[in-house]
Amino acid sequence: MRRDPARLLARYLLLAAAVVLLNFLIPRLLPGDPLDPGGAEGMTAATPLPAEARARIADYYGLNEPLGRQLTDYLGDLARGDLGWSIAQPAPVARLILERLPWTLALMLTALALSTLLGTALGLLAGWRAGRPLDRALVSLSGALSAIPEFLIGIGLLAVFSVGLGWFPLMGGRTVFAAYGDGPGATVHRLSDAAWHLALPATALALAGIAGFLLLARDTTAGLRGESWLTVARAKGLPVRQVVLRHALPNLALPLLTFFSLRLGAVLGGALVVERVFGIPGLGLLAFQAVRARDYPVLQAEFLLASLGVLLANLLAELAYLRLDPRRGAGHG
Amino acid sequence: MAERTGRRQWASSLHADPAPRDWSHPAQHTAVGRRLGTRPRLFWLGGGLLAVACVMALFGPWLAPYDPALSVGPPLQPPGSGHPLGTNDIGQDVLSQLIAGARTSLIVALGVAAISAALSWLVGLAAGLSRRLEAPLIGLADLLLALPSIPLYLLIVTLIGPSQTNLILTLGLLSWPAFARVVRSVVIRVRAEPYVEAARALGGSNLHLARLHLLPATLDILPTKVILTVRFAIFAEATLAFLGLAQSGTVSWGSMLSWAFSDPLLFARPVWPWLVLPPALAIAVVILATTWVTTGLQHAPATHPPSTHAETADRPLARAAPLPAEGNPPGEPAAERSRERRPTA
Repeated sequence: MRRDPARLLARYLLLAAAVVLLNFLIPRLLPGDPLDPGGAEGMTAATPLPAEARARIADYYGLNEPLGRQLTDYLGDLARGDLGWSIAQPAPVARLILERLPWTLALMLTALALSTLLGTALGLLAGWRAGRPLDRALVSLSGALSAIPEFLIGIGLLAVFSVGLGWFPLMGGRTVFAAYGDGPGATVHRLSDAAWHLALPATALALAGIAGFLLLARDTTAGLRGESWLTVARAKGLPVRQVVLRHALPNLALPLLTFFSLRLGAVLGGALVVERVFGIPGLGLLAFQAVRARDYPVLQAEFLLASLGVLLANLLAELAYLRLDPRRGAGHG
Repeated sequence: MAERTGRRQWASSLHADPAPRDWSHPAQHTAVGRRLGTRPRLFWLGGGLLAVACVMALFGPWLAPYDPALSVGPPLQPPGSGHPLGTNDIGQDVLSQLIAGARTSLIVALGVAAISAALSWLVGLAAGLSRRLEAPLIGLADLLLALPSIPLYLLIVTLIGPSQTNLILTLGLLSWPAFARVVRSVVIRVRAEPYVEAARALGGSNLHLARLHLLPATLDILPTKVILTVRFAIFAEATLAFLGLAQSGTVSWGSMLSWAFSDPLLFARPVWPWLVLPPALAIAVVILATTWVTTGLQHAPATHPPSTHAETADRPLARAAPLPAEGNPPGEPAAERSRERRPTA
């Protein structure tokens, strides 16, 4: 597992290149034609493009060129940050994505932070009481929550807290027709409004992802209970709270880091789906609209961005692991 | 710990153990107790729920009161006589749709599980046996594992069209990597066993080894793989259908939800409980049922590569071979851990 940073970097560069190549090849090699909406099996037949329009679009995208030439063009565009032009909306894909990205990122990061904090706290609690009813209840509850699709948890929260209790908005990312005013107060208003709208979807995502963090913290803590240094710490008379926070918690840092980066792809997928439940105007809603309009460039760009983002996060996590792992350099490598 | 003995019971049904062991656990005095007592109660509850779903899927057309595709009543009828779960906004009977959705889920689940399991074993055996194939196959598996799945599915299924066949193919062809790695790790461990070495020394080809010696040794993780993939497929089908990728004209639970949510005023009227809750609960219940079954299965065979020699000693996999039982000291079967480390399909 342990690698030196250079090899790690090379491996991830290779993976990134594979992702870019995959993104280039998928629409060109798979059956199905982005220019022929009627040709997709299982969709309600759409009006096919007239042959002349089709030829012009194919020409515009350079689809008649040899594959190698297309690839170099594609890489050139990519290097300039040009992700193409959306089919359904009159805007370049890059701009559409950049507009929506903050919502999805805010949703994901809030959810990840929430599930890390909650999961670790509850996991410490459960691990310290491993085998007792509280431990079993927490483990099975979080297991059930992680099994159910995120959007169902979202629907449940929406039904209870928005529809039933009316505490949170029904849908959207901001209050419709909201006048935030000017000045420094406006930004605060705007942000708090967004936070109010993001609270439920983030909670849904966090609940869906809590199980892994909880089990990680629980197992580590439960395993630590037998360690002799912990017995010593307690024999010295340290209060339990301090033993947990000062001695047990640091042991969690490395596995948590690994797990954090592993979860990222799943959280991203969950965010995309949950956005549709709550009408959050992020990448998920964009993808949903793109699916309906068969807006292929948008989906392609989202896949590219998502995979590269996940790869980058994994790389950073592994590099951080190399730096943080106290066993490195001690000859255990 | 009842699980520990349960594991042996499980293994012996798959592999004819030449030296049957004594059943020492007090919970196993009767044959019935031996079969039922070793698995958690939730396992049976989950199995029962899945059986109900299968009955719904198999006999749907005879069970459903109406044709799920037709408008058979006034729109948005609340649940009541005639329409036990009400009607949706174009007058389709919700109960009939719910029953029809079970069939869609089952077809997708079984199709994906079959393709995915076959690929997992094929790749796992090949990568475990052939040094030349190992690097590219495992590299491909790692690449697929690293990609965020939902954006990839959206990209592919939108391109090739969301027909049921396409959906099954996409999910099946992309969900093999996790278990291919598990199978490979088992193969790597088993191929060092003396009986495999002996078979090779007798001139057995790789194919012969894979079919007769390695495949049987990997088979006790097959139930776990199948049920995990069933869960994954139901999950993914519902998610994609909710995002609008479902074969038009086919009812599925996810597309029922998607349909309900395409109404922007869904929650502004009192109609949402019978439009949203039945499909949502159906998905949740079936997925929870598969989870409970998985947990129950994982109480039995250990599906993870053991980390120490002590654990290897007592593994049912190693005993699949026609080796005389040497009376290995029972190792510590990480029953605790097998529950947590759940490989996703």
